[in-house]
Amino acid sequence: MMTSLTIEVGKVLLVLIGVLNLAAVLTWMERKQSAVMQDRIGANRASILGFRAFGLFQVLADSIKMFAKEDFVPPMGNRFLHTLAPFVSAFFALIGFAAIPFGNVIHLFGKDISLQVIDLNVGILYVFATMSLGIYGVVLAGWSSNNNYAFLGGMRGSSQMFSYEITIGTTILGVLMIFESLSLQTIVQAQGELLWGFIPKWGVVVQPIGCLLFLVAGIAETKRVPFDLPEGESEIIGYFVEYSSMKFGLFMLTDFVETILIASLVTTLFFGGWQIPYLMRDGFHFPGGFTVSLSGTSVSLLQVLSYCVKVFFFCWFLLLVRWTLPRFRYDQLMRLGWKMVFPISILNLLATSLLVLLLR
Amino acid sequence: MPTLTINQKSITVPDGTTIIQAAEKLDIEIPRYCYHPGLSIAGSCRMCLVEVEKIPKFQPACNTRVSEGMVVHTNTEKVKEAVSGVLEFLLINHPLDCPVCDQAGECYLQEYYMKFGLYDSRMDENKIKRHKAEIIGPHVILDTERCILCSRCVRFVNEVSHSHEIGIFNRGSQSEIRLLPGKILDNNYSGNVVDICPVGALTDRDFRFQCRVWYLSETKSICPGCSRGCNISIHSNRQRPHHAGGRRVMRLKPRFNAEVNHWWICDEGRYGYKFIDDPSRISLARVKEKGEFLVLTLDQVIGRAGEKLREALEKVGRDSVVVVASPRLTNEDLFVIRKFFGEDLGLSQIDFRVPDQNLASGDDFLLRADRNPNSRGAEAVLLDENGFDLTQLLSMENSRKLQLLCLFEQDLTKTLGEAWAKKFLQQFEYVIYVGSNENETSVLSHLTLPSATYAETEGTFTNFEGRVQKINQAVEPLGDSLPTWQIVSKLACALGYRYNYENAEEVFGELAERVVEFQDLAYEKIGDSGVEIPDISKVQV
Amino acid sequence: MGSRELSFTERLYIIEVFKGLWLTGHHFFGNMKRHLARQLGLNRLKKGAVTFQYPEERRPFSPRYRSRHRLTKRDNGSPRCVACMMCETVCPAHCIYIVAGEHPDPNIEKFPVRFDIDLGVCVFCGFCVEACPEDAIRMDTGIVEIAAYSRKEMIYHIEDLLQ
Repeated sequence: MMTSLTIEVGKVLLVLIGVLNLAAVLTWMERKQSAVMQDRIGANRASILGFRAFGLFQVLADSIKMFAKEDFVPPMGNRFLHTLAPFVSAFFALIGFAAIPFGNVIHLFGKDISLQVIDLNVGILYVFATMSLGIYGVVLAGWSSNNNYAFLGGMRGSSQMFSYEITIGTTILGVLMIFESLSLQTIVQAQGELLWGFIPKWGVVVQPIGCLLFLVAGIAETKRVPFDLPEGESEIIGYFVEYSSMKFGLFMLTDFVETILIASLVTTLFFGGWQIPYLMRDGFHFPGGFTVSLSGTSVSLLQVLSYCVKVFFFCWFLLLVRWTLPRFRYDQLMRLGWKMVFPISILNLLATSLLVLLLR
Repeated sequence: MPTLTINQKSITVPDGTTIIQAAEKLDIEIPRYCYHPGLSIAGSCRMCLVEVEKIPKFQPACNTRVSEGMVVHTNTEKVKEAVSGVLEFLLINHPLDCPVCDQAGECYLQEYYMKFGLYDSRMDENKIKRHKAEIIGPHVILDTERCILCSRCVRFVNEVSHSHEIGIFNRGSQSEIRLLPGKILDNNYSGNVVDICPVGALTDRDFRFQCRVWYLSETKSICPGCSRGCNISIHSNRQRPHHAGGRRVMRLKPRFNAEVNHWWICDEGRYGYKFIDDPSRISLARVKEKGEFLVLTLDQVIGRAGEKLREALEKVGRDSVVVVASPRLTNEDLFVIRKFFGEDLGLSQIDFRVPDQNLASGDDFLLRADRNPNSRGAEAVLLDENGFDLTQLLSMENSRKLQLLCLFEQDLTKTLGEAWAKKFLQQFEYVIYVGSNENETSVLSHLTLPSATYAETEGTFTNFEGRVQKINQAVEPLGDSLPTWQIVSKLACALGYRYNYENAEEVFGELAERVVEFQDLAYEKIGDSGVEIPDISKVQV
Repeated sequence: MGSRELSFTERLYIIEVFKGLWLTGHHFFGNMKRHLARQLGLNRLKKGAVTFQYPEERRPFSPRYRSRHRLTKRDNGSPRCVACMMCETVCPAHCIYIVAGEHPDPNIEKFPVRFDIDLGVCVFCGFCVEACPEDAIRMDTGIVEIAAYSRKEMIYHIEDLLQ
């Protein structure tokens, strides 16, 4: 009993600390990556005893600054909701990770430990539910600030997230139909199979359009460029215009946590999660009959590593997108959401169901 | 009446007209330095050379009289070359110190070089060094290096001021303008030589290095120095207050008016603008409380003045209020004073004539003994029908208690002498002073209202000949000050009368309707040179 | 703004998006390669970024660069300026304030009693230098760090400008 509780707490802490640290690293990465993309150097001045570490301490300096700053609440705003909003945002963004598997079952301390905080049979619905609840953070922040710009940002945020959530829902239906499960662990395991004996049956292979649409809608869901209308620095500053100190820091953190969440979901649903092509329980089985046998523990560790690398890659990719594309206009955003992405996802769904029906 | 052709345009002019005058009528510009319409003809600068058909050599346009059938060319290549050559000769020894020269910007050497010269200098020799920055009189400074010996100034002192202080000495390249032995250029018209000097040789000591001329804006006005009403331009610096210690009005220049002052004004008028930006200006309204002046807003002080006026009228009566206006006020100011005090309040004790103890004298040219610009207008407006004479009141040993005295721009201490003025003022319970500058009388008043000077307001003056001439606003009124007619209007409003004149033109419109001497006059008809009312003296009551 | 009619592929947007990603990705990897090469000491010549590390590393100024003004001096150390106010006149920002005075030497005549430049207002257009007939004002000091704690301190007086 004690051991299993320790293991559960350990898993929670592992995921939580991993995600939060990755989010912190992403703030540094965003700076550095954008700088390298634009032929610049990027933040590199923060140092400890003259040791700069490529500006990594900037993250530390930023968080110290965030904590040390004045915590401002608009005098005419709603103090309670204003304080609550960033916590709601960050909380729902973080608990979504509970249902995401970061590895297969590992045999440790004489026990089979599932590398997932909680294996829900409706995991995917759970993740989407938490994502939808995240809207509350945005709306509350916009509304409680008693600021027209913040309010406008909140409104934009909620309508944008609603619109694209529908698309997200429709795109993954195809995946769910093919893998016939709502449990994320089952979906990942199903992606370990091979099509015609040599192509990994990853989501992206069986649902290429769905993958693309999911990426688009996912970026829209994170409210980052090119879909940063709720923020819109150059026009309205957005729903967190009246936030300062660590409350603002929480919103920023949420931003990056959501990026990681979308990267994890893409990995899980379309890129095989922790799967490595041709890696079975006892080692690699390449199509030509060539085999490399490995121990069960090392396979599990390789799979975790594979999951991490994939998530990291998609984080990088999302940053690349964020620093490449300009912001949409609001009408363009809505048109894209309702008139392009959503109808295509419906068509994709129809085509998938037809194929599934025919191939069965 | 010969008819001639200049540049293919023909014109008929009276006998004795010179080519330059005929060309002027055709708006053809002929460059000139020595020619001045107010002076005799010298023909010394040779800038006005023109080509006359059938005359083999160039003729100076200023000194050649027109004849029947004359054909003149002023813009042929030959003429241009000749003029450019003359200019090159004139500039041979010119120091080209435009950066430090006050004339720069209004210098005819600069202007004609850009229009007719534009050659490259061929002068390789050293320029002749001469006297620089030589003070030759109380108002004028001479730089002989810049002089082109046009002799305008010499002709001016000989022909206009008849004071004969300067002349041209030595010969050839050594000739230069010098003072005659034992003399300095000190006459009441000496400032005019600065105006007529086409170059920077004679400059004004008063204006020296105060400001560059291109910073100045020009406003047409009338000199308030005496009853002649010389036409002037106020040159004011509105944009750059760091010059001349923040002075706004920088200088006055005469403005041509064939009927009044021609091209000239006297030095007394020319340098009489200093009071406009003087530290003694009253810029804020104030009342005296327990012997100390207390500065309040203009509306508060006007309200207080209204209360005092109402109190005097209600408690004691109309006989207890005396209004002393001033011949320095414009016709519009005087009319509003008459309308409010005389007609609306029904006061009879309104006058402007204060006997002056220190009468100045005039001269036989422009300056008049009466140093007030609008005595004639004040007579016409204020002395309409009431028979009140201030002199009687002033001289009377008065036993009856007087309540309120309203003084407009009247420094009684100066005009009456201190003892008399004090005695007179002490007869009153309350003294209101409306004026622009602090003086010994304003200090004695109980309530002071700041009025704008002539440069800060618009309106009309009537000169001693009955010529109504317009003054225009050159600068904004200082501080809280307002034109007198506006102050009186506000006072009237404080007592419940409706005075809503928008501008001086509206006041003048009513003035023209109501005052018989001004009938048939309209503000816009006055124009730049004024309108004479010939029968103003006959209509006088 | 005139806008060009977009072609069909451009209106599809997705291709353009990938083109954009290709471009920025190209920069990213190219620069990363150069950064790495420098870090590992393989190629010190190629820099991964165009950045100058400002306080330590300074971009060399071109000789025509317009930096803070200075007033030139005569041989005896007095300012060459004769207070002709050409610079004050031509200044589009109206940030030069000159007050002229009478110089004891009649051959100089005029000199600036006050010559202030409000560098908080100056737009560094260099017109004053162009306009000066005496070569009395130059913008060749190379001083670009002009900052102060108050607007008043941004006004440089004749003593500061002569140094």
